[in-house]
Amino acid sequence: MAEANQQGCLFVGEGVVLKGNFEVPDIASISGIVEGELTAKQVIIEATGIVRGKLSGESIDIRGEVNEYISSTRSLIIRSTGKVSGSINYSEIEIEKGGHLHGELHNLNPHS
Amino acid sequence: MQEQPDNFSQSDMPEEVDSEPVEQNFRSEAPVRSSINSKPSILSEGFTFEGTIVSDGVLNISGTVRGTVTAKSILIDSTGQVDGELNTENLVIKGNLKGDVNCDDLNVGPLAHVTGNINYKYIHIQRGGKISGKFNKN
Repeated sequence: MAEANQQGCLFVGEGVVLKGNFEVPDIASISGIVEGELTAKQVIIEATGIVRGKLSGESIDIRGEVNEYISSTRSLIIRSTGKVSGSINYSEIEIEKGGHLHGELHNLNPHS
Repeated sequence: MQEQPDNFSQSDMPEEVDSEPVEQNFRSEAPVRSSINSKPSILSEGFTFEGTIVSDGVLNISGTVRGTVTAKSILIDSTGQVDGELNTENLVIKGNLKGDVNCDDLNVGPLAHVTGNINYKYIHIQRGGKISGKFNKN
């Protein structure tokens, strides 16, 4: 999907360490380490990927690790290899069996 | 002389076939008897309980419970509502839960609403389940 049109996308390969704040208009696929703030329309944290800081997006798919803060306005999926800690805000959530969740969970639209 | 052995072998065959189905019937009854022990306790829809429930077995909650519930396995059905503390190994939530949970295995269904402090070992939340509160993995 992302390979067909890479405009507006960010790919962080395994072994790469990024520090700072990143605004990604389309897809952010993280196999390395990101320290700071990352905002993207769609975020994929691969099994080797780690985000230390704030992660925001519409759809977020986590196979790796995210610490501190997550905000997802559409769907948040924590896969069986995923580890998430800190403050988590979601509108729709799915956690596969085996996924780690440690922290506070908030529903953005609890009355829907 | 050659015909006699043939007759003997034919008469032996049906006897063996008859004896086998009888043994299979006895075997199939055994597992049915053992499953009676795992019968769940049921709090039906429309039933409201206030207080403490302790069970070593399976508890199905379709009604309303306010208080403390301790059981080996708890199922909160889609019509079930629990307000209080839950201690269990195996917890399945399809309905509403407000309160503190200590469990090993937590499974939250797509229509469930869960609020509270939750301590778990293994968690599975199906898409659409509404949960909020503090989560702690043991």
